[in-house]
Amino acid sequence: MDINYQIPSLALLWVLAALLLVILPGALRLPPWILLMALACMSWRLLIFQGRVSYPGILVKMVIVFTALPLTVLQYRAQGVGLDAAVCLLILGVVFKLLEMQHKRDIVIVIILAYVLIMIGFIYSQTIPAGLHALLSVMVTTGALVALNRDNARNNFADTSLLAVQLVLQSIPLTLILFVLVPRIGPLWTMPLPVSSTKTGVTDEMTPGDISSLGRSGELAFRVSFEGEAPSHERLYWRGLVLDFFDGQTWRRAGNTLLDYGMIRRYPSEFRGVALGEPMDYDVILEPTQQTWVYGMQLAAVASGDIVQDRNYSLHTAKPITQRMRYQLRSWSDYQVDLQLPGALRARALQLPQNDSNTRSAALAQELRAASSDERDYVNRVMRHFREQPFYYTLSPPLLGESSIDDFLFETREGFCGHYAGSFVYLLRAVGIPARVVVGYQGGEYNPFENYTMVYQYNAHAWAEVWLEGEGWVRFDPTGAVAPERISQGVEAVFADQPGFMEDAGFSMMRFRDTQWLNTLRLRLDAIDYAWNRWVVSYDEDLQLAFLEEMFGENARSYVVLALSTSTALIFTVAAYFLLRGGRGQRRDPMTRSFLALAADLEASGLPRRKSEAPMDYCARVSIERPELASAMQTVTRMYVQLCYATPEADSEQLRREFTLALQALRRRVLSRARRAGLVAVSTFSRQR
Amino acid sequence: MFSEPIMSPVSAVNFWFANRVQRWLARNVPAVSSVSLHRRNIFILPTTHGLLYVAATTLIFVTAINYVLSLAFGLAFLMVSLFILSILHTFRNLHHLAVKGVGGDAVFAGEDACFTVLLQRHAERLHEALELSFPKSLISRADLIEGEQQRVNIYLPTRRRGVLKAPRLKVQTRFPLGLWRAWSMLDLDMRCMVYPAPVPGPLPGADSTAGSGKGQSTQPGGDDFHGLRNYQPGDSPKQVAWKNLARGQGLKVKQFVDSSGDRFMLDWEMFAGLDAEARLSRLCFWVLELARSDVDYGLNMPGVRIAPGRGDAHRNRLLSALAQWQQTQELDPAGNSGEAG
Repeated sequence: MDINYQIPSLALLWVLAALLLVILPGALRLPPWILLMALACMSWRLLIFQGRVSYPGILVKMVIVFTALPLTVLQYRAQGVGLDAAVCLLILGVVFKLLEMQHKRDIVIVIILAYVLIMIGFIYSQTIPAGLHALLSVMVTTGALVALNRDNARNNFADTSLLAVQLVLQSIPLTLILFVLVPRIGPLWTMPLPVSSTKTGVTDEMTPGDISSLGRSGELAFRVSFEGEAPSHERLYWRGLVLDFFDGQTWRRAGNTLLDYGMIRRYPSEFRGVALGEPMDYDVILEPTQQTWVYGMQLAAVASGDIVQDRNYSLHTAKPITQRMRYQLRSWSDYQVDLQLPGALRARALQLPQNDSNTRSAALAQELRAASSDERDYVNRVMRHFREQPFYYTLSPPLLGESSIDDFLFETREGFCGHYAGSFVYLLRAVGIPARVVVGYQGGEYNPFENYTMVYQYNAHAWAEVWLEGEGWVRFDPTGAVAPERISQGVEAVFADQPGFMEDAGFSMMRFRDTQWLNTLRLRLDAIDYAWNRWVVSYDEDLQLAFLEEMFGENARSYVVLALSTSTALIFTVAAYFLLRGGRGQRRDPMTRSFLALAADLEASGLPRRKSEAPMDYCARVSIERPELASAMQTVTRMYVQLCYATPEADSEQLRREFTLALQALRRRVLSRARRAGLVAVSTFSRQR
Repeated sequence: MFSEPIMSPVSAVNFWFANRVQRWLARNVPAVSSVSLHRRNIFILPTTHGLLYVAATTLIFVTAINYVLSLAFGLAFLMVSLFILSILHTFRNLHHLAVKGVGGDAVFAGEDACFTVLLQRHAERLHEALELSFPKSLISRADLIEGEQQRVNIYLPTRRRGVLKAPRLKVQTRFPLGLWRAWSMLDLDMRCMVYPAPVPGPLPGADSTAGSGKGQSTQPGGDDFHGLRNYQPGDSPKQVAWKNLARGQGLKVKQFVDSSGDRFMLDWEMFAGLDAEARLSRLCFWVLELARSDVDYGLNMPGVRIAPGRGDAHRNRLLSALAQWQQTQELDPAGNSGEAG
C-alpha cells in the first residue's frame, strides 16, 4: 500500500538527459523527422513537468501514434523490415512513453530501454569515441535510476552524479573480468545487418580513372600487423579482386564467380598455388567496406576468420563487411601459382572485346612480339616501352575516347595505375599471352608505436598478372615502370604536391604529416585506435582462446569456469570489504557518547565505571568519592537518564542543550583535576577508545 | 451442507508458510527494543524492476552474441556488474542502522495507532530512502542523512480496544538503484493502549451519583457536569456542547450541577440493557467528558473499582481499565479486526 508515492522531481530531468544522450547519435543516422519527434516529445514532457501543459488526452495520443507508424512504414518500405526500422520504432516507443509516464514503473521502463538504446549504438559504431559516449550514457542512465530512488536533500545534481559515477566505476573491475573470461560463442541465428549504401574501397570493376578517385581519399582502408618484421614497401601488394573481363572501356570480373569459390584444394598441385620460401603471418583489421571481399598478399592461406578463397586466390566473405573485420592470414615470400592453366581459365585470360577498335595498339603488340625471342622477353619489352616512352603518372588524367587503349597509349599518355595495368594486359592478350588485371592496394605507412602498417584508400592500386609457361602467374606492375618511387616509397611521395591528392579528406591530420610533432601525434592516435580494435572490438572466440591458452596453458577451456567464479567471488568480497567495513560497534546517540566521554575522564582521574554499572549507581559512587563534584554529577546524570529513558515528550531540545552545557562544564572540572594529577595522556587515550 | 469454512489447499500452504516464516523470525530476529541491522537479520531479493533490468541485460547479451558486438558484450557485463554491485550498496543502506522502539501513544479504537521508532546511524554511514511499515499500514519514509538519529512514526489502524502489540516492523530500502530490495522484519516489542471508541449517550441522571451516596439537586450554572438538555435562547455559549453539535446531534447545552467537592462515580449499571462493548464506549465518553470538567470521578465495573480522582494520570488509568476490561490477551495485530479475545 503505497499511495503517497511521488516521482522525485529531479529524476525526470535525469531521464530526459539520458534519453537525449542515447538517442542523439542514432538519430543522426535515422530520418530527421524521428529526431524532431523525439525532441518534441521531450519538450512536451518538460512542459508537463513544469506544469504548463497537461498530459495528452487519448485522442492526441492516437493521432501521434497513427501519424508516426505510417511514416515509419513509408520510410522503410523499400528496405523491408530491417534493423533501422526496428531502431526507429524503439526510439519512437520510448519517446511516446515519456508522454504518459506517470508512475514509477513507467519511468523504470524508459530507463531500462535507454540501456538497450546504448547497445543499439554499438551496431553502428564501436570506435573509441562511441565507447566513451556509451560509458557516459551508462553513467547518466544510472544517475536517472539513482535520482528515481532517492527523494531527499541529497537528490541534487552533484550527489546523484557522484554516486552514479561511483557505482559505474566500482563495477568496472568485474566488467573487465567478465569481458575477458566469459566464453564467447558464435551467433545463434543470423541477423540482418544494416548495410550502408555507400561502399568504400576498391570496387569490382575498373574503368581507368576510377582508382584515381580513391587517391583523393585519406581514409583508412585496413591495418596490418606482421608477426615478424614487415616486408619492404615494394613487396606490399594487397590483392583484392582479379578483373579478367574487358569490354573496351571497363574491366570486370568474368564468369560465374560462385563456381570459382573454394575449389582449389581439389585440383592437383600443378593447377594450384604452391607455397615456397618463408611464411609470413599477419593480422588484418579491415575497415567496413560494405563489400564481400578482403585483402591479402599473394599467396594467402586463411588462418582465421570466415573467409573463402576463390579460383583466382581472391579472398571472399559470405556477407558484406559492415563492421570492422579482423582476420589472420599466412603468406609466403615466394610461391608458384597455377603451373598448368586449365582451358577455361586460359580462355578467360585471353578475352578481348568484340568489335575491338584499338587497332594501333594491336599493331604495336604484334610489332613488339615479332621483335622478341619469347613470351618473357615480350613482357619485358612492353615494360620497357612504358618506361622509355614519355608516359606520365598522374592523379588527374585526361578523359579517353571510344578506343580507350589507343587513346591512352598513343595520345594522352597520362594515366593513373588503372590505365597502365589495363593497357599492359591488353597488349599481352593481343599476342596470346594470358594476363589479367588485379586491383587492391599497394604499400602502407608503418606505425612504430604499435608495430603495424596502415593502408589508406589512396594506396589503392591496379597491377597485372601474366601467366608464363613454367612459371605460372607472375606479377608485373607497369606503374612501377613509369613511376618507380610509387612502388618503393608510396603514393604520398609521388603525389604530395599534386592538387587532387587527398582532396576529399577535408581537414585531416594527414595534411600535417610534414610537421614532426603533429605527425607523431597522428601516428600515436592511430596506434591507440588500432590497439582498441585489435584487443577490444575484435575480441572474439579465437582471440579469447589464444589469450586463455597463454594464461592457463593447453587446457585453458576447463579452467575458465573456475577462473571466472573465483575472480568474481574475489572481486565481490573485496568490494564488500570496502563498502561494508566501518560502522561497526554500538551506535550511540550523542547523549550516550557524551556521557561515556565523561565516564572516561573520570576513569582517567581514578574512578572507573564498573561494567554494567547503571548511570545512577555510578553517579552515587562518584558523589561519595568526590563530594566536590557531587551536585554537578547528579544534575548531569539525572538529565541523561531523563533523556535516555523517559517518554518522547521529555526529549526536548531545551533539555538536550542544558545537558550538553552541564556536561561540558563538569568535564572541564574533571579534566583540570586530572591535568593537575598528570593524567591527561591517559584521559585522551581512553576518550579515543 | 458444509457450514464450516474449509481452507483451500493454496491458502493452507500459505498459512503453513506464513507460520513457518513467523517461527523462523521469532527464533532468528527475536523481540528486543533496540536492534542493529546486520547480515543475519537483513534479507535481500531483486525487485520486479530488477528482473526487468536483468531481462534487458539478457537482451543486450543475446544481441551482442548475434551481431558479434564486442562492446555490446562489454555493456552487458557492465550492467551485470552494476546489478551485482548494487546488492552491496542496497545492503549497505540498511547495514548497521540501529532501530529502537520508542513506543506508541494510547489511541481510541478506530483511530490510527502511532508507533514511534528511533533510527540511529553511525557517524560514517548514511541511510537513504528507508521505508518503514507494518503489514497493512501506510509506508513511512525516512532519510537518515542530516542528524545522527531520527524519530519516525508509523501509523497502524485499530479496530478494537485492548493492548495492541505492534506487529513486526518492516524496515525496507531499494536505494540506490531500485534493483534490489533489502529489508528486515523487526519485533521491537512495542505496545500501545487502545481505548474503547467513545460513544456519546445520555447519562441516566438518577444513577449518576449512586456511588457518592448524596442526594443532589440540579442547580444550573454549577461546576459539575450533569447531562445535556436542549438549547434555549439565552444560554451561555460556553455551555453549548459543540462536540455534539459537530456530530450532528443538534444544539445541546451542557448541564452542570454545583456539586463542588462532590464525587462522581461512573457505574457499569448506568447503561444497563446495552452489551458490554457499548457500555465501555459510553463509559469512555463520560470519562472524557468528566475529565474536562472540574469534578472528581471514579469508575465502578464488575471486577474493577477505581476511587474518584482527577488529573491526566487518573483519566488514563480509567481509560486503560476500560480498554483492558476482561481482555486477557494482547490484541493480535493481524486479527485486530477479528473475534473478541
